[in-house]
Amino acid sequence: MTKLMEWLLGLSLIGILWSIVTFDLLDLRISDQYLQVAWPLPIYLLVTFGCYSLAVVGYRVATFNDCEAAAKELQEQIQDAKRDLQKKGLHF
Amino acid sequence: MATWTDRAVGMGLVVFSILLFTYYSIWVIVLPFVNSDHAIHHYFLPREYSVILPVVAALVLVLFIGGFITVVLWKNKQKKKVN
Repeated sequence: MTKLMEWLLGLSLIGILWSIVTFDLLDLRISDQYLQVAWPLPIYLLVTFGCYSLAVVGYRVATFNDCEAAAKELQEQIQDAKRDLQKKGLHF
Repeated sequence: MATWTDRAVGMGLVVFSILLFTYYSIWVIVLPFVNSDHAIHHYFLPREYSVILPVVAALVLVLFIGGFITVVLWKNKQKKKVN
């Protein structure tokens, strides 16, 4: 099963459950308060996802880091490569 | 390293999203279980706006992104014509 199929299956399951509760397809006699919570739930999930994304972006901006060890390693590798090429007769 | 402006903006985004999530959760999940004459209802718009506002915000966002992409593509085309 591809990832797309998994997501489509999950979304349609949630959609079916939501429409059963919201449009009362099975005559469940859900109390009005729970119905009031249920009908905006898809938008609520969307807003929650948006908030989560915003928080992750903000957190990554706040803790953005220089990779000093990696930079040093890369510089050393560049020097190594230059030395190696010079041995083979290349001039910089 | 992240400068202090990066840190301030990032933490501001985090705090904003947490506040938005809390307010919206109370609005959508908690308010139906509170008596309709309770004082807390003064701090929230009518219920239908809890759906209308996010939909409007999403439409504005999509329009903005679409406009942005259009402008960028259009400018790229102009540059190629000059070359």
